[in-house]
Amino acid sequence: MWDFKFKLFRTKLHRTRIYLTSSLQMRLPALVFLLVLSVSCNSSRSARSLETGGRITLTYWSATNAQELDFANQVAAEWNGRHTEVQIKVEPVPSGQSTEEVILAAIASNTTPDIYANVFPGAMQDLLDAQGVVQLDAYPDFFDVLHERMTPELLDQYRSSDGHYYQVPWKSNPIMVLYNTRMLREAGVTSLPTNYSEFLSAAARVIRDRDGDGQTDQWMLTIDYFPIWYKRLYDYLPLYMAASNGQTLFEGRKVVFDNQSSVAIFRFLHECFARGYAPRQTFQGDVFLDGRVAARFVGPNSMGHLERYRSADFEYDYGPIPRPDDATGQPVSYADPKSIVIFKASQHPREAWEFIKFIISKRHDLRLLELTSQLPIRAGLLEDQTFADYFKRNPKLVKFAEQLATARSIESIAELKEIFDAIAQEVEASVVFDLKPPEQAVHDAARRSQQILDTQ
Amino acid sequence: MRPGEANRFSTHSKTGDGSQVPGVGENVASLSAPNESSPALLPLPPVPEARHPAPGTRHLTPDPVGYLMVLPYLLHLVVFLGYPLAFAFVLIFHRWNIYTPMKWVGLGNIRLLLSDPLVWRALGNTLYFLLIHIPLQLVIALGLAQLLNQKIRGRAFFRASYFLPFVISGVVVTILWQQLYAVETGIINVLLQLIGLPKIGWLTDRRFAMPAIAIMATWKNVGLYIVLFLVGLQSIPSHLYEAAELDGASGWQQFRLITIPMLNPTIMLVLVLSTIGGFSLFIEPYVMTGGGPANSTLSGILYLYKQAFFFSKMGYATTIGFFWATIIFIVVLFQRRFVETEAM
Repeated sequence: MWDFKFKLFRTKLHRTRIYLTSSLQMRLPALVFLLVLSVSCNSSRSARSLETGGRITLTYWSATNAQELDFANQVAAEWNGRHTEVQIKVEPVPSGQSTEEVILAAIASNTTPDIYANVFPGAMQDLLDAQGVVQLDAYPDFFDVLHERMTPELLDQYRSSDGHYYQVPWKSNPIMVLYNTRMLREAGVTSLPTNYSEFLSAAARVIRDRDGDGQTDQWMLTIDYFPIWYKRLYDYLPLYMAASNGQTLFEGRKVVFDNQSSVAIFRFLHECFARGYAPRQTFQGDVFLDGRVAARFVGPNSMGHLERYRSADFEYDYGPIPRPDDATGQPVSYADPKSIVIFKASQHPREAWEFIKFIISKRHDLRLLELTSQLPIRAGLLEDQTFADYFKRNPKLVKFAEQLATARSIESIAELKEIFDAIAQEVEASVVFDLKPPEQAVHDAARRSQQILDTQ
Repeated sequence: MRPGEANRFSTHSKTGDGSQVPGVGENVASLSAPNESSPALLPLPPVPEARHPAPGTRHLTPDPVGYLMVLPYLLHLVVFLGYPLAFAFVLIFHRWNIYTPMKWVGLGNIRLLLSDPLVWRALGNTLYFLLIHIPLQLVIALGLAQLLNQKIRGRAFFRASYFLPFVISGVVVTILWQQLYAVETGIINVLLQLIGLPKIGWLTDRRFAMPAIAIMATWKNVGLYIVLFLVGLQSIPSHLYEAAELDGASGWQQFRLITIPMLNPTIMLVLVLSTIGGFSLFIEPYVMTGGGPANSTLSGILYLYKQAFFFSKMGYATTIGFFWATIIFIVVLFQRRFVETEAM
């Protein structure tokens, strides 16, 4: 009886302990198992690019949103109609925590497609470390094709640390500020802010306590300050590029953002929260469309959503990323680019390269704009007759096309996620919760980032 | 019920030898205990002899079929427990991101752990969580168990209702509470405003986030502990209360001097289980707060998860895992020692 009792208790303890460690330990063997499986299945590698009667099938992973899938399907259908010997099969990238993880898991388990069209250039180093992608500048026409789209300087931002190119820079969502112009007008703000002072003084006029309960319920700016690394790609990073005239956060493996630009950004955002211009809370639903927040950081792809869901009297426009008051020159922003890669597991990389050239042709760049309102990374978008009609019909996107010329990408560093996590922690601590002064927060973020780089 | 066993239990309840926490079955034994007479006078039943009628013959020759029979369990043990544990232990001394080869780093991960402020932050957060969660859990579970132990109408319905949250998926419960806690639209804040109090940023204010999670965790788990307490309450012999009543003890005195001491083993079980549950806190902060605001709800397991699956640092993540397991081991060891000394 005692024994029984004791065992029951121990089993409970035991089970709880298993539960505790399960999240990690149960996944590792699964991954190792996948690895082993993939090694043993090497002989059947071509399963993903089936050859049936001399016909090649390439698998093409697209982003999962309906617009991009639509684009991928249209392009593939067109290709398939013309090339009977090489057929394209479109699949949405399997969903997961983040697509980067899905891709790395696919590489580890050898289940990659031939082509993937939504790579975050910041994650390229991971793909290289995993030896998962094909070197593209080995194709003789690589530079001809790419230089037709972009300047050598711009292309250079996408070069990997070994000096070669493994990605085709494809499309971009340069970050700008989306404003509810009706709210601004009603508050007496007539022009879109361009610098911190203008933004803050506009904010002071916009905020309201609508229901009179003593708490602000109409704000200037909303930032998703949840400390998740990639969220800082859409506020801190464009603000930094704007404030520093196009600098990025690193020089080689040295962290260089512990400077006046960062401090100014932290101060600016801190003002927004401290003075109640930005809410210290998260919301259900879309507060911007509800007309309760007047500004947020977005890319051009926000337009589809806005056009579909806005009410008839909802007015909006896009403005530049605010900069320090003494800034001059063309405003720079973060390009939020996405690239196309060919995976090493592909049996037909040459055919895949031909298809990539088909995707990035001018005709399909126009279709990309029309279907997704994302910008192809192509110089002279506004001068080109091919796109003239589109921009005439969508004048709001002209600003993004102009921004594209100076928008830039971020270096690919394997530790990027962890570094942005460190920045996110400090933004939250200093900007949102006022736990430390901006100088200290910037300094701490930079120190921790350098530590992360040094311990690797 | 064999008389000997009942006697052994009554020994336990008299001397209070609660070094081992009781399960469900044996408390029932005390109900059928014939009396509180001295256990030393009664001989133990000849149980071992009865179980092995022919000692030294059959059970000494190993039967290979037996091994075959336990093979599925052994296989399961090796594949899903032994191997991962051994592999995780090896990982402590390596840096590994799954897709590139492992790299030996010696004690690097351990050094990193000891100097990582976020690990200690997570530990502090966990202790804070336990500080709110455990007393709340004990008081509410015991209070409700006491109520549900009365002869009230719809008792079975209430017992089932309180148990329901425990069997619902943690993610579902968390998402529901996220709605309740919402600053603008959440029903809790709406009620607060109705009675003239200001809105509270339950999940967005550093001061309230961890208590909010502790309250939710209490709500979710209270059903299990009510059941445990009910078993405990029902196993307290009613003649103790009768005797106390005859001596003129008030209801509160009965509760304090009979119910609480008799429930001591159950209380300890609840304490240990909710401590371990608290240390494995993950779903709630992962879904609700991501560890924020300002790391105020970062739990050890959430930090481990971030290291493993956000930053692909498998080696460091397993180091955190082992560190956490060690802490739980020590805390539970301490609690069980505490049971013994308490009961002596």
